[in-house]
Amino acid sequence: MHTHRNTIFYLSIIFLVILGAAAVSAPLIAPYPPTSQDLGQRFKPSSSAHLLGTDNFGRDIFSRVIFGSRSALLVGIVAVSIAVTIGTIVGLAAALSRGYIDNFLMLLMDSLLSFPTILLAITVVSFLGYGLLQVMLAIGIIFSPVFARLVRAETLAIKTEAYVEASRSLGSPIVKIVYKHILPNILGKVIVQCSISFALTVVIEASLSYLGLGSQPPDPSWGLMLKDARNYLVQAPWMAIYPGLALALTVLCFNILGDTLSEKLNPKL
Amino acid sequence: MKRPICFFVCLILTLLLGIAIMTNPTPAEAKALNFALRGNPDTLDPHKTSGTLTFQTIKSIYDTLAEPDMNGKIVPALAERWQVSEDALTWTFFLKKGVVFHNGDKLTARDVKATFDRIMDKATGSPKAKEFKSIIGIEIPDDFTVVLKVKEPTSPLLASLASGWGAILPKGLIEAEHDFGNQPVGTGPFVLKKWIRDSQIVLVKNNNYWMKGLPKLDEISMHIIPERAVSVQGLISGQIDVAYLIDIEDLPILETSPDVKIEKSMSSLIQVLSINCSNPILQDIRVRQAINHAIDKQKVLDIAYNSGKPIGTFMDYSNAYYKDFTALYPYDPEKAMKLLAEAGVGQDTVFELFLPQNYEPHVKAGEVYQDMLTKVGLNVKIKLVDWSTWLSDVYRAAKYALTVIGHTGKLDPDGTLSGYGTKDRYVRWINPRAAELIGRARKVSGFENRKRLYDEVLEIMAKEVPFMYLGSSYRHTAVRKNVSDFRMTPKLDTFDFRWTTLD
Repeated sequence: MHTHRNTIFYLSIIFLVILGAAAVSAPLIAPYPPTSQDLGQRFKPSSSAHLLGTDNFGRDIFSRVIFGSRSALLVGIVAVSIAVTIGTIVGLAAALSRGYIDNFLMLLMDSLLSFPTILLAITVVSFLGYGLLQVMLAIGIIFSPVFARLVRAETLAIKTEAYVEASRSLGSPIVKIVYKHILPNILGKVIVQCSISFALTVVIEASLSYLGLGSQPPDPSWGLMLKDARNYLVQAPWMAIYPGLALALTVLCFNILGDTLSEKLNPKL
Repeated sequence: MKRPICFFVCLILTLLLGIAIMTNPTPAEAKALNFALRGNPDTLDPHKTSGTLTFQTIKSIYDTLAEPDMNGKIVPALAERWQVSEDALTWTFFLKKGVVFHNGDKLTARDVKATFDRIMDKATGSPKAKEFKSIIGIEIPDDFTVVLKVKEPTSPLLASLASGWGAILPKGLIEAEHDFGNQPVGTGPFVLKKWIRDSQIVLVKNNNYWMKGLPKLDEISMHIIPERAVSVQGLISGQIDVAYLIDIEDLPILETSPDVKIEKSMSSLIQVLSINCSNPILQDIRVRQAINHAIDKQKVLDIAYNSGKPIGTFMDYSNAYYKDFTALYPYDPEKAMKLLAEAGVGQDTVFELFLPQNYEPHVKAGEVYQDMLTKVGLNVKIKLVDWSTWLSDVYRAAKYALTVIGHTGKLDPDGTLSGYGTKDRYVRWINPRAAELIGRARKVSGFENRKRLYDEVLEIMAKEVPFMYLGSSYRHTAVRKNVSDFRMTPKLDTFDFRWTTLD
């Protein structure tokens, strides 16, 4: 049973590494520029010239899927970084100060959490304007409460440990305690949360692009590709299948990664 | 302990389901037509919107004094005839007798006067009120005669009276401030039975309709289906009898179905890539000419707009006033590049191309335009905007460089051309000569006299290219084989179910 799980874990790592490498070296791998149209080659199924076929503008789907991984991963990395940064600062501030500041910060975070994610994302994006940058910012803000709660809870637990108390009574400044004792101890849980959030981010980016709020045409994005494909499901199913598959696999792999890491880093569970 | 309870609940639910299936009554056979409508009308009040969906729907509920026939000629409707005085300042309409509204009120001249007063009343806020602004007095010498006094000869007035926004409402309900938007009451062939927003509009036959023997259908169910694929599947399976605006990509599937026939006709749309002439760079006619040369019009029509005919000027292809100027700026990328080099426009100038994201064909066309313009060396960035932003920023405030839109056909050419040549129109193209000719053509009567003036206007517009004129697109309507005589009113593109039958 365990070896079976390990195989899946390593397979997903391999997939994600390949995906990352493809995203980084997209211009080298992709056989065509992702936005160039060839109107004589519309709706062509898989062939040697077009590995995954072409779309309604005769664009190469393989190239678009590869370039699409860039926006998916970029949004994931940037948005999760924003969320981790905001979340950690807020969580630490709340846990270390307690009292009014704690109550206020947590009320703010809880109220953010109480909104349905997609709805909140749409609201934020419609304030900031459409585009990839705005989507990153929106998702970053939306995911920060999860990290804030996590960091706060962990910090509260660690704060009362004997070695922290000892360090404190020896007169270490608070910054040093955070840096030396608290952050290293909560890192594992934060990484697990990152992995899970990453998967969600990819889905939300695709959803917002699907709704026309994220990546703008003709930029390649999996969500946007699915949106275009919706009208040609019967004539050209490959337009939906490949970006859909890329999206599903990426999310699945990040989830497996998160679950496995969670088991490995928190053996108690 | 819990297991047996669950089991019993399941058992009972299954039994109930079985009973429900067995007792489901088969619906009675009435002549009900299932129609696929692309979206929800915002209101059913003819005087409070400019929405196409509203006018398409209310054509079956209200009537107008006159109406276009299938050839686009304006023929009598609620008015059995009319006269225009020698000086063209007095229009006299003689109403049909024996017409009744859905609520039982008899149609008289007082209803017509009350209706026009309502349209021109600022409080109504009719977006079409300006078309009636030349009316300075309405007199009703008797119950069935209406006299309109106009301040200057106004040829386009008859077209406004024949369009959906001139629909006649009963005086009694107007005075009672009845909510026509939700509970329309007119003299039309069908009566609204129910309207479930975003789902269904059900119309039933008006047995007292003034055209004898019409309508032939008992009921129309308009299903609001925004998804193309759903209406296509509905047509094939028989849940939908008629769907309009069939996409060209769906034709092969529908053509393989033995139960569906496709009717192709020319729409009255003028599909364009609009150019903001107040933009410091697009002010240069060479840049606008280059844009016209850069676009392969037929290809864009085929890909984005279900194919069609290129036009070359600002008038729809099937219009009697149309004149062919397509030879002026043929597809010629090299010429486009030369013109751009002359004008000194290169990669460093970015043009924002605004696309209304709820109109898929325009977004599709926009993507092809961007590609074609890029190929002649222009730097074009696409910006998707929602419809209300498009209306406020692009159409009203002219804060754009390029945009893609389709102008709907009008019964009178003045409806298409009025305001062009002045800063009032969103292309901000200034040409006093064109503006003057358009103004003169409004006051002149007689087709030949007006055509002479419009010919010159269209020639100026064709040469000066405030637009990249793409063409008029085809419209494909799919009907099941058992449906006959489903009509679409020319120019207005409204649905006419009066003659429609279902075998």
